[in-house]
Amino acid sequence: MSAVPIRDRAMDDAVTVARDREDVAVGNEIVRHRLASRLIHWAVALTFFVNILTGMPIWTPLFRWMADLFGGLSVCRVIHPWAGVAFTLISAVQFFHWLKDMHLEPAEKKEWLGSGVMKYLKYQGDDSQVGKYNGGQKLFFFAVSLGALGLLVSGVVMWFPLSFPQIVRELSYLLHDLTFILFVAAIIWHVYLGTAAEPGTFGSMVRGTVTKAWARLHHPRWYREVTGQK
Amino acid sequence: MSAQSLEIRRSSASVWGSSSGMRSVPTVAKYIDTSTCIGCKACEVACQEWNDLPPLSTQQVGTYQTMPTLDAGFWNLIRFDEREVEGGLMWLMRKDQCMHCAEPGCLEACPAPGAIVQYANGIVDVNQDNCIGCGYCETGCPFDVPRFSAKTRKMAKCTLCVDRVSVGLEPACIKACPTGCLHFGSKEDMVGLGSLRVDQLKKGGFTTAALYDPQGVGGTGVVTVLAYADHPEWYGLSRDPHVPLGVKFWKSIVRPLGLFAIAGAFIAAVGHYFNFGAKQVQGSADSDTNLPQA
Repeated sequence: MSAVPIRDRAMDDAVTVARDREDVAVGNEIVRHRLASRLIHWAVALTFFVNILTGMPIWTPLFRWMADLFGGLSVCRVIHPWAGVAFTLISAVQFFHWLKDMHLEPAEKKEWLGSGVMKYLKYQGDDSQVGKYNGGQKLFFFAVSLGALGLLVSGVVMWFPLSFPQIVRELSYLLHDLTFILFVAAIIWHVYLGTAAEPGTFGSMVRGTVTKAWARLHHPRWYREVTGQK
Repeated sequence: MSAQSLEIRRSSASVWGSSSGMRSVPTVAKYIDTSTCIGCKACEVACQEWNDLPPLSTQQVGTYQTMPTLDAGFWNLIRFDEREVEGGLMWLMRKDQCMHCAEPGCLEACPAPGAIVQYANGIVDVNQDNCIGCGYCETGCPFDVPRFSAKTRKMAKCTLCVDRVSVGLEPACIKACPTGCLHFGSKEDMVGLGSLRVDQLKKGGFTTAALYDPQGVGGTGVVTVLAYADHPEWYGLSRDPHVPLGVKFWKSIVRPLGLFAIAGAFIAAVGHYFNFGAKQVQGSADSDTNLPQA
């Protein structure tokens, strides 16, 4: 017999299972996001970043240097609306893909539109009833979907300004700005919470799995539903 | 774009703002007297010729106007309005082109650094190399002047013959006018001419005559004598042109606040991590330390 170490079969099995199933336990892990979910999420992220990097140099000369990633401001002006079309389409796919997981319960709505946010951020919230996605994540989902719509409507006016009256153009510039600003602030926190603030989360969107311990800490009700254990 | 010897007073999307303004250069202006314009359109032809603009087909829409509106290849248009007034029928003809505003809305709206510049003498010019063809200037302009080339999608408009003016010549349109209703010189002198003409008109019975030099945009580099100044809309002019509020709000308020908000979100995240750290998973799945605190 050779001395080659036996690979941890449980880890590979989880990735295989994660190709088409989720919310199942495999060894010490639980599959959280199947392949389709992950691909959709990263497609949204990619188109989002192309829009940000091509749009911000147009927004302010302070970010003019971002335009050089694409070959100059003229190139950004051409890429930006088309990347916006791609972003809108993939965001629509994302919306319908996750809609059924995002039903907000009245208790969640009350908590997360109130003091619940600060309690959560101070790590003092009561997570015992948190399912697969907490109230904050669900609100974020609807916020970004609405945001994508706002950017689309205002973006189309900005793409063909001469086809719209003056007042519609002015309002669109303002709507596009406000929506994008809120969107970027939200994404900064989305990335922060998904990486540094909550270790073990990033893997859920890459490998597709989380540890059982992670699930018990962050989403106890989901953990109970998946494993049948407390 | 030419005449590098002229200092640039303001530039679009400029982080650093105005130039030094060390050399004092008088603001120039065109003077247009609509009361003596005969609509001969020599000025239209002169502009096309001097700027090597392509010949465009006249569009006959039942008026004496050559074209229904300005074009990226047609920067100077005699607008024609037939108006019944007390005393009979008036033909109101106004030379329409960029007004070279002291506070140019196009420049304020433009997001491309150096695409629209205002020279020290007040001339507002477009640098085609820097223009990205986004169309924001069209929304910023209260006179509906910016037009876009179908081929390059870049903006083109009257340059106030900056290439002629900077070597001491008058603009081509001014030179071509046969009736002497167009003049060129310092803004001060042109406003003076305007005062004289308005007084003459008033004495002649045009009681509402005035010089159109709208202060809503800080005054313009084109001053126009109107016989019926109480009806600027008859001449295709707006009563109180100004840089649109939406543009001002967007550039001066929403944008800086937005930058603060984005920076703030980032700083808040860093601060949160310093203060609260991470929500750590401890031990194994069977450990009691992961149960919610009672």
